[in-house]
Amino acid sequence: MGRSARRANCRAVGAGVAICIVTLAAPSVHAQTTLSPDEARTIEYGKEIFKTKATCQFCHKWDASGDQGYGGNALSLRKTTLTPAQMAEVIKCGRPGTGMPYHDRFAYTDKRCYDMTRAELGNNMPPAGNEFLQPREIDAVVKYLFAKAVGRGQSTYQECVDFWGTDTRECEPMKNTK
Amino acid sequence: MRRVYLAAMLGSCLAASALTPVRAGDMTFERALKADNEPQNWLLHHGDYAGHRFSQLTTINTDTVKNLKLVFSVALGGYESGGRYKFGNLEGTPIVEDGIIYVTDGWGSVYAIDATSGHKGVIKWKMDPGTDRAWAGDVACCGVNNRGVALWKDKVISVTLDGRLIATNKATGEVVWERKVADPALGETITMAPLVVRDLAILGAAGGEFGIRGYIDATDLNTGKQVWRTFTIPGTGEPGNDTWKDGKNRWRHGGGSVWETATYDPATDTIFQGTGNAGPDWDAQYRPGDNKWAASVLALDPKDGKIKWGYQYTPNDPYDFDEISEHPLVDAKVNGVERKLVVHAARNGFFYALDRLNGSFVLGRQYVDELNWTKGLDPKTGLPVSYDPDSDVQAYVVGSHSFRGSAPSRTCPSHFGGKNWEPTAYNPQLGLLYIPSIEGCNSLETVEQKDFVDQGGPIKPRERFSGGGQKTTTRLYGSLKAIDPATGEIKAKLRLDYPNYSGALATAGNLVFLGHADGEFAAYDAKTLKQVWSFNVGTGINAPAVTFAINGKQYVAVLAGSRQSPFVVGLAPELKNTATASMLFVFGL
Repeated sequence: MGRSARRANCRAVGAGVAICIVTLAAPSVHAQTTLSPDEARTIEYGKEIFKTKATCQFCHKWDASGDQGYGGNALSLRKTTLTPAQMAEVIKCGRPGTGMPYHDRFAYTDKRCYDMTRAELGNNMPPAGNEFLQPREIDAVVKYLFAKAVGRGQSTYQECVDFWGTDTRECEPMKNTK
Repeated sequence: MRRVYLAAMLGSCLAASALTPVRAGDMTFERALKADNEPQNWLLHHGDYAGHRFSQLTTINTDTVKNLKLVFSVALGGYESGGRYKFGNLEGTPIVEDGIIYVTDGWGSVYAIDATSGHKGVIKWKMDPGTDRAWAGDVACCGVNNRGVALWKDKVISVTLDGRLIATNKATGEVVWERKVADPALGETITMAPLVVRDLAILGAAGGEFGIRGYIDATDLNTGKQVWRTFTIPGTGEPGNDTWKDGKNRWRHGGGSVWETATYDPATDTIFQGTGNAGPDWDAQYRPGDNKWAASVLALDPKDGKIKWGYQYTPNDPYDFDEISEHPLVDAKVNGVERKLVVHAARNGFFYALDRLNGSFVLGRQYVDELNWTKGLDPKTGLPVSYDPDSDVQAYVVGSHSFRGSAPSRTCPSHFGGKNWEPTAYNPQLGLLYIPSIEGCNSLETVEQKDFVDQGGPIKPRERFSGGGQKTTTRLYGSLKAIDPATGEIKAKLRLDYPNYSGALATAGNLVFLGHADGEFAAYDAKTLKQVWSFNVGTGINAPAVTFAINGKQYVAVLAGSRQSPFVVGLAPELKNTATASMLFVFGL
């Protein structure tokens, strides 16, 4: 995403507090389409980053429906109105003033994120993620979320099995859901 | 399927031998009562039943510690991902008997390490319990943790995150029986080392962030069957149930989890078990009333689990101030009178001393650097001064927690503590209690908690039940403080770069050992807390050290391998690239 687009979504108010307002509707990308081997591989790659490498699920829950607790009040990505580009930016830069971490190693060392630096953000600086991610990894996470979570309703037993596999009791409580 | 088969096998084995005979070299109640007589061993989780984590060994002392060096290390497993976690942590206290070191990894594997040669550790056996990692790891609030084993007769007694208590043959590593104690289907897990008193294994369930009703549970180790279970949150008709004033039976999901090992007083045959936060963690408006016995200590009779007395530290706790951590027993002269105390460095930032015979408050004093949630403790009762007896929902100091819809709080100490689970150590020769802790503040944002499905709401078992979230944007730090338990006075203190999650060891060599998040393992002068030795193991330490001797030579051992939480690492850039590991390090002169 270009810098001008970023400016459109975020503005600085008060003592360097960045407020990001996102109102754009997300395109529906999870329509039934046949995936190319490359697309399927990317989505699977994104799932593993979401699940294990960056452990996004710790705060957002395995089905990306959002959660509360020690991960903070994490938003539902199933209900998000972010565009893929906006979601990529939030993963890269985090959300200032919240617990959503940044995953670009060099975020806020220059003006690549919301035109702001660490010094300008002060106490609103978001935390660093568990792992830093390369652009291709962020792209894969976004593709995974738009393929498997964004715009979908309540998660199903099949989605649970797709995420966790069948070698665990994890999905048993959902067995009666479709 | 495997478990069904095991259970069937167990039934027949147990029927054949209802009582396990005692053999020479077995761990007995008599040995446990006199653990101090075997300073060459580290037989109990807290070193002794009194919870002192103190060793009489003196070869390694303030004069010789400069020569302390790594003797050997042992690579372990257990860092596999599962559930919400990328890897398991090491938080265990090793148990050492006759040169064999028994340790666990976060997923509950038990390792018997033969160190009798004195120069290397050989894994004699490993018992992997086959924990369902996704099932358990998805409802573990705070990591994949296991704090160690207990010894009983010829068996090693251990737990798994997915709720099982397991008896393993100490010589061979063969599982003899297992019992399902906690149920992850209800959000319950087990992370604590069992306390063994006579032939009972006493433990409880974690899950205070998932809407459990906490309990303390005893298993007869001869039969593998439950003897008693006492809920920490009283039910209808039980004393204390009237402190749940919501009128909707919310005590049924009231928290009060149990996840660190109790202390035991043989003189009165009483165990002292700390309990966790009320559920939900932060939405205190959901559960008006004092919410007994969350955030409390309970004195129980180990024979039947009956509660002798209870003392609650933070009524209607809106901060998540679990008080599960150890409650050491100290005999000390207070204002000229000999007292039998049970003491506690609380997560809420105060040190407490209670009369262990009746639970009456003796003294309390702030030990953390910054505390803003109450303007002190009532000197007679120990109740927070800012507690309002006319209110069912406590504001305490306004702004120190968040009500529904109000601005995020500034909470000091942070909801992490104060002292979290990591144990203190007590040097009875110097009369000093060493408190490793977390210092600093953070922010709580309360969200109105919805009800569980069994109470007409949408929340299903295994879903988080926190009533909000936390936010930590200011770097936390740590401290080690030496206090006089007879007065609560801080006699020496040391600021640490990182919040401490490792726990202390004190020795008669006038040393205190402590590990750190950056991998430093250090010894401190017991009187001044001046650092006198250190070695960096290269990966974070979240486990307490122990000391023991083999063929007369003293060793110090500690488990290392733990990635710190993002709330620590995210604000400490120098830790950002540290990696986890799974190692036992053993040091000697």
